[in-house]
Amino acid sequence: MGASLPPKEANLFKLIVKSYESKQYKKGLKAADTILKKFPDHGETLSMKGLTLNCMDRKSEAYELVRLGLKNDLKSHVCWHVYGLLYRSDREYREAIKCYRNALRIDPDNIEILRDLSLLQAQMRDLTGFVETRQKLLSLKPNHRMNWIGFAVAHHLNSDGSKAVEILEAYEGTLDDDYPPDNERCEHGEMLLYKISLLEECGSLERAIEELRKKESKIVDKLTYKEQEVSLLVKLGRHEEGAELYKALLSINPDNYRYYEGLQKCVGLHAENGLSSSDIDQLDALYKSLGQQYTWSSAVKRIPLDFLQGEKFHEAVDNYIRPLLTKGVPSLFSDLSPLYDHPGKADILEKLILELEHSLRISGGYPGRAEKEPPSTLMWTLFFLAQHYDRRGQYDVALSKIDEAIEHTPTVIDLYSVKSRILKHAGDSAAAATLADEARCMDLADRYINSECVKRMLQADQVASAEKTAVLFTKDGDQHNNLHDMQCMWYELASGESYFRQGDLGRALKKFLAVEKHYADITEDQFDFHSYCLRKMTLRAYVAMLKFQDRLHSHAYFHKAAAGAIRCYIKLFDSPSKSMAEEEEEMSKLPPSQRKKMRQKQKKAEARAKKEAEVRNEESSASNVSKSGKRHVKPVDPDPNGEKLLQVEDPLLEATKYLKLLQKHSPNSLETHLLSFEVNMRKKKILLALQAVKQLLRLDAENPDSHRCLVRFFHKVGTMTAPVTDTEKLVWSVLEAERPFISQLHEKNLTEANKIFFEKHKGSLMHRAAVAEMLFVLEPNKKREAIKLIEDSTNNPAPINGALGPVKEWKLKDCIAVHKLLGAVLDDPDAALRWKVRCAQYFPCSTYFEGERSSAMPNSVYSQIAKKPENGDSSHPEGGNIADFVTSNGKLEAFKDLTV
Amino acid sequence: MGAGREVSISLDGVRDKNVMQLKKLNTALFPVRYNDKYYADALASGDFTKLAYYSDICVGSIACRLEKKEGGGLRVYIMTLGVLAPYRGLGIGTKLLNHVIDLCSKQNISEMYLHVQTNNEDAISFYKKFGFEITDTIQNYYTNITPPDCYLLTKFITETKN
Repeated sequence: MGASLPPKEANLFKLIVKSYESKQYKKGLKAADTILKKFPDHGETLSMKGLTLNCMDRKSEAYELVRLGLKNDLKSHVCWHVYGLLYRSDREYREAIKCYRNALRIDPDNIEILRDLSLLQAQMRDLTGFVETRQKLLSLKPNHRMNWIGFAVAHHLNSDGSKAVEILEAYEGTLDDDYPPDNERCEHGEMLLYKISLLEECGSLERAIEELRKKESKIVDKLTYKEQEVSLLVKLGRHEEGAELYKALLSINPDNYRYYEGLQKCVGLHAENGLSSSDIDQLDALYKSLGQQYTWSSAVKRIPLDFLQGEKFHEAVDNYIRPLLTKGVPSLFSDLSPLYDHPGKADILEKLILELEHSLRISGGYPGRAEKEPPSTLMWTLFFLAQHYDRRGQYDVALSKIDEAIEHTPTVIDLYSVKSRILKHAGDSAAAATLADEARCMDLADRYINSECVKRMLQADQVASAEKTAVLFTKDGDQHNNLHDMQCMWYELASGESYFRQGDLGRALKKFLAVEKHYADITEDQFDFHSYCLRKMTLRAYVAMLKFQDRLHSHAYFHKAAAGAIRCYIKLFDSPSKSMAEEEEEMSKLPPSQRKKMRQKQKKAEARAKKEAEVRNEESSASNVSKSGKRHVKPVDPDPNGEKLLQVEDPLLEATKYLKLLQKHSPNSLETHLLSFEVNMRKKKILLALQAVKQLLRLDAENPDSHRCLVRFFHKVGTMTAPVTDTEKLVWSVLEAERPFISQLHEKNLTEANKIFFEKHKGSLMHRAAVAEMLFVLEPNKKREAIKLIEDSTNNPAPINGALGPVKEWKLKDCIAVHKLLGAVLDDPDAALRWKVRCAQYFPCSTYFEGERSSAMPNSVYSQIAKKPENGDSSHPEGGNIADFVTSNGKLEAFKDLTV
Repeated sequence: MGAGREVSISLDGVRDKNVMQLKKLNTALFPVRYNDKYYADALASGDFTKLAYYSDICVGSIACRLEKKEGGGLRVYIMTLGVLAPYRGLGIGTKLLNHVIDLCSKQNISEMYLHVQTNNEDAISFYKKFGFEITDTIQNYYTNITPPDCYLLTKFITETKN
């Protein structure tokens, strides 16, 4: 380094490097300038100056200098290394890898560069490269533990587990017998457990268990030891030993569901293989005996409810529920709600709880018991029933139960939260938000109910109050950006969706892209662990983390955010925001005097904004300089409302970016391919649209949306002009070749296919709606017929266990979609109105259909909130005065005094 | 199970974070809408205002105001004392009132008083059990309920130990 310089300057150069490492950038800069005065073309100095400037937030100068330095000294590994570091700081890892490789070409054994390169290769999953680099590092420094471990992990990641084992054993061979010393025991034990998990992964089960037992004394984590042992025993088919070990584990933690599952597997009673009635009896007996052993375990009581049936289930669930209702466990319903997916169990539960309710009302105790229950038991029973009826879609009963519970004990917050949820399900988001706010006010120190309230407000499109409520719990108080820093994704998604509903695409995009950014950050966050985990030997956790990162983008929140962003871009493409030219045009229509005023106003506003931005930048740069090297103030967001996001040149190109991620990470989601269809049809990418249609048919050919895409696609193709160019001809020939393989269209035209689809799904509203819409697409003159298809649909009672229940089949969400279809697509306001009137009867609480019990109606309970006169002050403040009316909690008249 | 076991009753103070609990109770218990001064007094009285919890459910409260007596010293005015209907007869009211009486004797406060409607016999006999006596009758104290008259109930606390 710094060769080719005279001694004085060479020393100065060393000072630059030292200053950079100790973050004394100003000092380094000064030294660099001194050298450059004498040797203005010295490449390495120019590079180092650039790197220093990069840390002082002078990016563009940095790149300029580093590139110039490299140009002046292409043969310097320092210049290449610096260039790589610069790219790395900007997260341009691919470019950085290239630079490091060039540096290594000049100085192949430079350990620092090799180490940096290996980190990047792990980050980018360049696994063959990672193995190579790790091998090189090991051969250069074989006495470093980390190099052995790194080499083994590299092989493991590169899917060569047995090689990894070999390396670890070779490493063990270098150790003394009395290894490890006391302060290394944990690390060494972790390494052994990692090795054994590798053996298990490669299928060397016998060796794994042998090794495990041999090294028992050296493994510190005894619980993992046992769990690893039992996993191997089960895989080896040694079920009796496995069962014993699982019982031992249960005595350590009798609430671990995995132990129970494992034990069931070992005794041959696992639900996977289907259970006969004698199996169920055996299981029942097993859990009864375990239950006597572990009286405090709740898992041992809860699990049998999953496999018991009929009368036995009835008895077990009765025994399970009673003490929990007595105790008052608010989560009881969530605990039992998976049982609602088991046939028949919901009915048993309903009957049972109604019996309990009845008995509590009559005698104050449970049926068959002389003892009286505490008064709260009735309230918790009503609470459970409300959630039960909510789950079954009987919202009116649910509401009457929850109201009774609130009447009974108006101070229990959970009651209000559940009432809010019922109202939301019934279609009244505004009332749901009000109730959630009431719940929130009852405990201002509870973040959970605060968040729940924010969510409800966003669902009701009350973004401003949601924001205000959300920041009550952020650190910086008024700074709403803090939610972004905390990666509060549920909030960003809900608020993005609300903006989207309200047509504010800029803000919606802003929120959706913020979530996307969090995922990029999470990917980024793994970087530090590549070196940290090797050093700390947390290898099993490290590898698990890498695997998690590999499927990070298949997470539901990412899916939602990407889908939301794509929808925004599609909408933007369909109705682009006003361009500058259009605005000019509008302006020219104004009378000249007004135009002048407008212009002046605009200019003033611009000037003001500019000034403010400058001031802010100055402030932030000032604080940067003062404590350079430390965390600097974040720059102010120049586009808080996402207006710039709306000005993308090609919205579909942007959409495609996110679409690709969805296709890669959520290939089995219908929505992915529906979006792909919409985007590619607009881009006129015929073959990609066809691909989407084929994926839809593969996933669910009977889905109404799949049908829509299929028909729309071939209808569109049918209306295209004959191919002219070679590309078009090629596309055409692919279509010719593919069409016969689509069974829906086999020897049928689209109208026939549409009819067949109709016959198949006559009874379903959404299928009928799809057929009607396609009928209209294919034959626009048959609009009346299409509308009739929809209006002739009947809303039958939904069957429950073969009998007809009190709830009808149609879902609120579907009916809203049909209403939009009638209004916007089929363009028949009268039909839409008829539909609305009809649905208002099915959904009396729905604000969308203005049902009579919804808060949208002037005479509903919920709309009276604002109208009651304030009568708080009275002549005798201390309990002397009777007010004009009696308020009752939770009934929404009481809302006005909620402003705390 | 639980029915046989004693359910624990505990007291907790009123703060601005949970004052809504007190409001909810008052809405359910009394035909009166209390004004801001009531809540300010209650918060200011510190330990003299308490919420009662039955297991983890807030079911009752006592709210007091501390008043300066002429010639120095403090007296306690009980603004409200109430327990939700389903939870009455479990000793919760007694626990609340005893708490305040104990506090008074600890702090050498010698007088506590309250108003009660003349026909509210249950309340009168309840307070008498704790040594309250009718010391006055105020005609037409209430404006909207009959009878409009109320009694003044007072308890004088003689210093127990010293």
